[in-house]
Amino acid sequence: MTEPSDDLVNRFRAALPHTDETRCPSAEEYWAAAVGELPFERLQVLVDHGAKCAECAEAWRILAEIRHEPDAAVGSALPLHAPRPNARRSPRVRALVPLALTAVAAGVLWVAFRPAPVEPLAVERGNGQGSFRAESPPVQPAGEAVLRWSEVPGATSYNVTVLTEDLVVVHRSIGLSSRELRLPEAVGRRAAGTGLLWNVDAVLPDGRTVASPTFEVRLGNDR
Amino acid sequence: MAHTRGDNGGSDVEDPATIERIRQVLIRAVQRHCPPPLAAHREDLVQIALVRLLERTAGEGTAARGTSYLWRVAYTVVIDEIRRFRRQQRQAGQLSEDEPGAPGPEARSEILDCLSSLQDRRRTAVTLHLQGFRTGEVATALGWTEKQAENLVYRGLADLRTCLEGEDR
Repeated sequence: MTEPSDDLVNRFRAALPHTDETRCPSAEEYWAAAVGELPFERLQVLVDHGAKCAECAEAWRILAEIRHEPDAAVGSALPLHAPRPNARRSPRVRALVPLALTAVAAGVLWVAFRPAPVEPLAVERGNGQGSFRAESPPVQPAGEAVLRWSEVPGATSYNVTVLTEDLVVVHRSIGLSSRELRLPEAVGRRAAGTGLLWNVDAVLPDGRTVASPTFEVRLGNDR
Repeated sequence: MAHTRGDNGGSDVEDPATIERIRQVLIRAVQRHCPPPLAAHREDLVQIALVRLLERTAGEGTAARGTSYLWRVAYTVVIDEIRRFRRQQRQAGQLSEDEPGAPGPEARSEILDCLSSLQDRRRTAVTLHLQGFRTGEVATALGWTEKQAENLVYRGLADLRTCLEGEDR
């Protein structure tokens, strides 16, 4: 356990300068940070901002309080349908997996990049079948899996979603500038001995998104 | 698999009891964490936020997204509402920039300077801890194990105290 730090908490909160909130990150991004959807570099920017802005620190504290609620903390709250227990065993259902994954990915992207009221974001789905291919090995060690993909010309960043075979999202990284994602060790280890599904969305300068097909990686049992 | 992202737990998000619980939690959070001029308006703020929440989720098939989706939207709308309220108050000149509890520049620089001097991972973990995140929540945000998060918070707090002791001398 960590030592009691009420004195530091109070001192920290009292020290935060007020801002006019003109450069504050969105509440949606704070939530994405709390549920582990952002790469560390972006999370760090948000956390550091909260240490320089009393108003955002307040947003972080409200977020922490909400996340203490059990049903608020169960995950990233993506628009997923409950997985069917026998989905992996039925060939007929298995044949529908790519279609279902495309729908899930569309939902994920829609939630992540929901258009602002005044400037709707155009999202182009299902158009990246010929642009993408996985460049990382299909079988990797669970603790150090790295997902790599081919370049999409003109893409400014990439968003990656990782799901179990039952279509439960276990990790999401948004705004990656490189074409690889090192899977968090905890995520990999939890999936050791099974397969994970992953897909990539390339974000173009005009805000459109090019979606990859869904790839699969098998994780070894290297505990 | 222990990980349950996206798990909606089978809750009925249209259940009035769920909405009422969200309302209560939001009111409590605004009361605890916002300065008095804002907290005094907590009921109105949260009510407006809930109206927006229901508007936003109407027809979205929230049942499939689960209760945690509702919490997510509730959080974003309430923060947006707080920000909008502050903007209006600022424009009306009713919200002082020197809100209660604002320290002098010396105390301000001391702890924030020490915090910013910490190693990246420790600083991030400690800052989340100081914002009220529990160890498991820090681990979720950072994609680390709970043990790693606990270790980094512990070491980061130790570094912070050491730095502050040096500053105090």
